Amino acid sequence: MAKAKPIRGLAPDSRFRDAAAAAVSVRATEVFTFADAALDLSDIEGVHDMRVATRRLRAALEVFAPCFPRKAHADVLKGVKDLADRLGQRRDPDVAIEELEAMAKEFAPADRPGVAGLVEELRAEQAAANETVARALADVQASALPERLQDLAEAARS
Amino acid sequence: MKAEQVKGLKPDGSFADNARRIVKVRVDELYALAPKALDVDRPKKLHDMRIAAKRLRYVLEIARPALGKGATDGVRTAKALQQLLGDIHDCDEMLPRVQAHAARLRAADVDHLTRRPGRNARDLKPGLAPTAPGADRNRGLETLAAHLAARRRVLFARFEREWIRLEARDFRGTLLAAISPPEPEAPAPAGGAGP
Repeated sequence: MAKAKPIRGLAPDSRFRDAAAAAVSVRATEVFTFADAALDLSDIEGVHDMRVATRRLRAALEVFAPCFPRKAHADVLKGVKDLADRLGQRRDPDVAIEELEAMAKEFAPADRPGVAGLVEELRAEQAAANETVARALADVQASALPERLQDLAEAARS
Repeated sequence: MKAEQVKGLKPDGSFADNARRIVKVRVDELYALAPKALDVDRPKKLHDMRIAAKRLRYVLEIARPALGKGATDGVRTAKALQQLLGDIHDCDEMLPRVQAHAARLRAADVDHLTRRPGRNARDLKPGLAPTAPGADRNRGLETLAAHLAARRRVLFARFEREWIRLEARDFRGTLLAAISPPEPEAPAPAGGAGP
């Protein structure tokens, strides 16, 4: 899992609204750096990193909520939640497959076919969820979510 | 589960003061959920507690630059608790899924075997059972279900022990004390060193 980027210049006596601007700006930038890796089915870390980054961004949006214009904040938060939900739909089968395959290795060979059948079913879900993530990433661009997040961050300062 | 709203936040106030206020609400939220989550038959409450641990962890992570080392220790504890509750939740999610998968295979086998002897059959020979397509694909699902149910019990018992340990070391009190504002320096005594 990718480590969170440090947010520079924050101190205990920083104004809450300045901390809000810095945190949301850094966390928003971070989310979209994982966009290309998220669709790679051969390496499940890409979608995981992007999902964790969306969680951190969502947490920042929620913690600093009073610093943002209400309507713009609600719209952006909804966009981030939608993206996180759709990344979650891909992540769930990723994790389940990984765990089931690890368990099956510990089982007697006679007990493995059942687990393999379940994994097969999950792989179909994983592929469908990957399509969902691809659409989510297209929606993010179409709705200019990265730009709206940066605008929101800037709006916190005043 | 909707997060409790934090009242009295001031955008023009300091990062540290606002962060303390949020942490207090989030850690109280976690503690309020514990009695119900510790009821083994209430997986929904356990899931809510996992979400509360996650919220506490993330606010502490965000506020670390303002709250210092006390927040770092809190992050570690909240993350470990979140992980443990997440592992239990995974069992709660996976077990019904395995059972549903097995039930689907069995239903398909029943349909298949029902068709084998023809419409006017008087009975079904047991020898046909191994010809069912799911006979092989079902193997191991019962073992897997047993493993998941047992793992859940083991993890839940660990959660009970872990929560007792956190209460014994007063996790909430220690965290809130560790992130509280530094004591103002005592003013120098007036009039020098005294008689």
